[in-house]
Amino acid sequence: MIAFEHVGKRYGGRFEALANLDFRVRRGEMVFLTGHSGAGKSSLLRLLMRLERPSRGRILVAGHDIDRLHHSQVPFYRRQIGVVFQDHQLLFDRSIYHNVALPLEIQGAEPREAARRVRAALDKVGLLHREKALPIELSGGEQQRVGIARAVVNKPSLLLADEPTGNLDPQLSADIMRLFEDFHRIGTTVMIASHDLALIARLRHRTLRLSEGRLVADEEAS
Amino acid sequence: MSRDTSTRRGARAQRPSSGGRWRGWLRHHRAMALDSARRLLRHSLSSLLTMLAIAIALVLPAGLWLTLDGARLLDAELDESATLTVYLQERVGDAEAGRIVEALAAHDGVADTRLITADEGMAEFQQALGLEDALARLPGNPLPASVVIRPDDPSPAAVKRLAGGLEDMAGVEEVRLDLAWLERLGQLAELGRRVGLGLAVLFGLGVLLVVGNTVRLAVENRRQEIEVVTLIGATHAFVRRPFLYSGAWYGLGGGALACLLLTLGGNWLATPIAALAASYGAGFTLPGLGFAGSAILLGCSTLLGWLGAWIAVSRHLAQIRPR
Ligand SMILES: Nc1ncnc2c1ncn2[C@@H]1O[C@H](COP(=O)(O)OP(=O)(O)OP(=O)(O)O)[C@@H](O)[C@H]1O
Ligand SMILES: [Mg+2]
Repeated sequence: MIAFEHVGKRYGGRFEALANLDFRVRRGEMVFLTGHSGAGKSSLLRLLMRLERPSRGRILVAGHDIDRLHHSQVPFYRRQIGVVFQDHQLLFDRSIYHNVALPLEIQGAEPREAARRVRAALDKVGLLHREKALPIELSGGEQQRVGIARAVVNKPSLLLADEPTGNLDPQLSADIMRLFEDFHRIGTTVMIASHDLALIARLRHRTLRLSEGRLVADEEAS
Repeated sequence: MSRDTSTRRGARAQRPSSGGRWRGWLRHHRAMALDSARRLLRHSLSSLLTMLAIAIALVLPAGLWLTLDGARLLDAELDESATLTVYLQERVGDAEAGRIVEALAAHDGVADTRLITADEGMAEFQQALGLEDALARLPGNPLPASVVIRPDDPSPAAVKRLAGGLEDMAGVEEVRLDLAWLERLGQLAELGRRVGLGLAVLFGLGVLLVVGNTVRLAVENRRQEIEVVTLIGATHAFVRRPFLYSGAWYGLGGGALACLLLTLGGNWLATPIAALAASYGAGFTLPGLGFAGSAILLGCSTLLGWLGAWIAVSRHLAQIRPR
């Protein structure tokens, strides 16, 4: 599903955020990405979303070199990836329902079908009863779950999450990780960047460890 | 492996058919047209001010155009009255004059003739100038007989050619044509047209700037939203759409206000213009916009609003990069 081939990323020409990354992720796999703050986890995910382009090497997703996508194709590429952002990226002037419906609206989905899918996604994250609320009326953890619902509402084949449990209590973090495992179980490829080493260790999935932009460990699930 | 195929099937199933995509596209257009109208209404005062600025920019060139349109009608009326006056030699008597008139009437390009004998000429002159007393004291009638000719073709060039031909005829002293002021009027009209066109271009640019600036602020206000939808796969066209609609609404509103202002202004000026024209013996009225004129004005203003928004959004989108 994902192949990094000797990928490097420099910001501003000299600072090397990522260096010589070389790994593959199989379709349907669930992978954790860890490392100290500033190790390059977000940078790696941004490369995958094609928000940044690699300074060297190639990134293949589903067999396509994403660096060669024409810029008019990039939106269509992004629609196939569900992303949970470190800072939620919700729209604060829209209800929860309309936030989750946004990817479907962008794709021009039929409203009745869209409504069905939005409700299903909200139900999955346990927020169906809050669909009319505004994001501001929700707690941080609830907002994070809205972000997850939005990421999965159009059934992406690849799900990326950047610190989805950032500042949540352990119980909630475990719940959210269980959600990702559910998507993994139905065949979605999942990649999660996280600091929470204790939680990662308990979940037993493949873990990529970054340090100063280099891949220092690639541990298969035990 | 079985997991793989199910994912792929899932991915394929979510792609809408081309008919569905087309319907989705139309749906988004409708939604954005309504949504942008609603946004404009929510800030009705500032929207109204923007539209008023557009209207004011449109009223001047459109008003000038209407005036020129009126002048062209007047022009046609004046062409009708383009005449030549053929002065006969002083020695020509009334009988000979009759023969000359017949010869003139038979000349190519002459539509109509009217003889004014020396006496009639004197009488007309006295009446027109109110100088009965002074002229009565003259020893004889100093005026020659004359023939007023209406040409077939009233264009200045044809009239000039006709005059050249008539001048060589026997018994003709001089041919006078009142072309100078007709030509001057034509030049004035041409000048007006050019000024009008220049103003239209300049003020059209003004409309672009007004809409562009308003839309630029709107884009700035919705920056976060633009970033988010770009992150989750919105195309530039999708992001642009609501702003293009608000630009078009501004243009349409401004155009409608301009139509209103032009109608009100036309009514306000109608009475003095009619009085002024009457004093010159002309039937000049300022023509109204009419249905076609209003439609053209509304169409142009809507298009300008749309274009202004397009320029502003495109310039801005290039700068907005999602974090
Ligand atoms: N747009 C950018 N321009 C310049 N440097 C950047 C940019 N984005 C990231 N960096 C640098 O790249 C390095 C990796 O950043 P990144 O955000 O990927 O780290 P991270 O592993 O996600 O850290 P954290 O756990 O704190 O989120 C950092 O040193 C950061 O300063
Ligand atoms: Mg990060």
